[in-house]
Amino acid sequence: MASFSRRTPLERVEYVLIVSTLLLLVVFTLHPLLNLLALSFTEPSKVAGFSGLSIIPDGFSTDVWALLLQHPNVQRGLFNSIWMTATSVCLGVFGTALMAWGMSRPGLPGRRLIFIMVLVTIVFEPGIIPDYFLMKRMGLLNTPWSVIMYKVISAWYLIILIRFFEEIPKELLEAAELDGANPFQTFFLVVLPLAKPALATIALFYLVLHWNEFFRSMIYLNDQTKWPLQVVLRQFVIEGDKVAIVGAHNVANNTAIAQINIRALKAGMIFITILPILAIYPLILKFFTKGTMSGALKG
Amino acid sequence: MRQWWPYYAMMAPGLLFFFVWHYVPIWEAKMAFEQVRIIPPNIWVGLKNFQTLFSSPLFYQVLANTLIISGMKILFVFPVPIIVALLLNEIRSGKFRGMIQSAIYLPHFLSWVVIAGVFIALLSPTDGAVNQIQTAMGFAPINYMTNTGTIRWVLVISEIWRSAGWDSLLYLAAIFAIDPQLYEAAELDGASRWQKIRHVTIPGIVPTIATLFILNMGMFLSADLNQVVNMQNAVNASTIDILDTYVYRMGLFTGEYALATAAGLFKAVIGMALVLISHFISKRLTGKGVW
Repeated sequence: MASFSRRTPLERVEYVLIVSTLLLLVVFTLHPLLNLLALSFTEPSKVAGFSGLSIIPDGFSTDVWALLLQHPNVQRGLFNSIWMTATSVCLGVFGTALMAWGMSRPGLPGRRLIFIMVLVTIVFEPGIIPDYFLMKRMGLLNTPWSVIMYKVISAWYLIILIRFFEEIPKELLEAAELDGANPFQTFFLVVLPLAKPALATIALFYLVLHWNEFFRSMIYLNDQTKWPLQVVLRQFVIEGDKVAIVGAHNVANNTAIAQINIRALKAGMIFITILPILAIYPLILKFFTKGTMSGALKG
Repeated sequence: MRQWWPYYAMMAPGLLFFFVWHYVPIWEAKMAFEQVRIIPPNIWVGLKNFQTLFSSPLFYQVLANTLIISGMKILFVFPVPIIVALLLNEIRSGKFRGMIQSAIYLPHFLSWVVIAGVFIALLSPTDGAVNQIQTAMGFAPINYMTNTGTIRWVLVISEIWRSAGWDSLLYLAAIFAIDPQLYEAAELDGASRWQKIRHVTIPGIVPTIATLFILNMGMFLSADLNQVVNMQNAVNASTIDILDTYVYRMGLFTGEYALATAAGLFKAVIGMALVLISHFISKRLTGKGVW
């Protein structure tokens, strides 16, 4: 590739145009988020005049964050989200690995049939009403398990893991067998340690999936104390229910808390919800990007 | 056979999971052919629910909305990641490209609840960035979220915001797989940047574009429930009511279980047919299927 100095003037103009278009895209992507982050740290008295264009807090105050983090609905939401996501991810990674291991064994009787059975679930989804009735019939409505169990094994991630297991060198497995390992021992002592990077990727996939889940929680969980953060956020941001966060008591008594602008509260709430995603974002980039680059369309 | 039992034992939880959560609902879906009664059993009514559905004007309005929104997304969202990938590929500094990528991939990992919250703030008529720019330029502010004329565009733009960056990754992977010798040869022939893009890069990623396009067509009736559920409000509902939200509302709010299941089944069957057809075409055209 020609060095910058050797480029023609036209090519330099083109390059500047390309870079500016991409930077514009970066601004379009990040600006709305940075604006909300700044808003959440702006001094309560200045929130009313805070511009939608600014990305620097006007004054500095952690009132919004303190109020939100101390609020029982947010704390419960955070707690529910964390334990439900953690449970789903653990069950999911372990269940997916066990099933993928069996399905990756060449010669397993019924392998093709099981494969087809899994693929059918990707293509055909009977819809939310039958799902709802199944939950009802099993007595799982209004329990966190109706949400946790639903996508605990994803057909897509299962297939990714099967591909990975198929590529484990046969010699390694044969060596384990010669040493007298039974299939369980081979799986736990040879396969799982080898699959660490793949398992980490799958775990991240599941983590994002379950953390962001809101629809099933919204329709299955009537009891507000069981809501994960996304549903709490939804009630507050989409439905604009300020009382739900500030508390009827505070609104009625018109205390300083009630003075906090709802805009700033919404902004803070959005950031509390995405904090874990932001925290693991470097990991996500590392694993996901590599996986997508190499797997591209095959996965 | 005896040697295989440990593997079946290990697969058992997974198999049970797929059976219960994915196959039992298929059986439950028989409700679409029944009249639901408060005191069981339900009565088998054949295709009567589908006839009711297909004779309802509301159903056609919802179907039309779904097709319009999906059509708009194919037209305006689908090409964006291709352009982004082409632009990214021109950035020679890997570090700089990486920085841009880590910024534009982020929204892909946020939930639609969050994205809806972000867009409601961004488009607020009083203090949203868009309307502030608009009023500074002398235009009257518009409430984009409650305007039936603009809400579909909000769906399109927010979809671009969410997926344009991340989806470009697939195309970028395809571009990186192109033989570098092709570029060297083009350079020797004195090709300009634009000529290299036109004659080397684009032909190189056509199979990827075709596969993804076909796949997108397969999802034509699934105009993203999660997005619409969060962006819908009393004012804009009629314009962005899609099949999925229709099923959800009718089933869980109106209590028309059988009709809602019939509508869901209609969507599932057409959706499955579209995916299978697109998969078949993709395999024919590019030799690459989805599975």
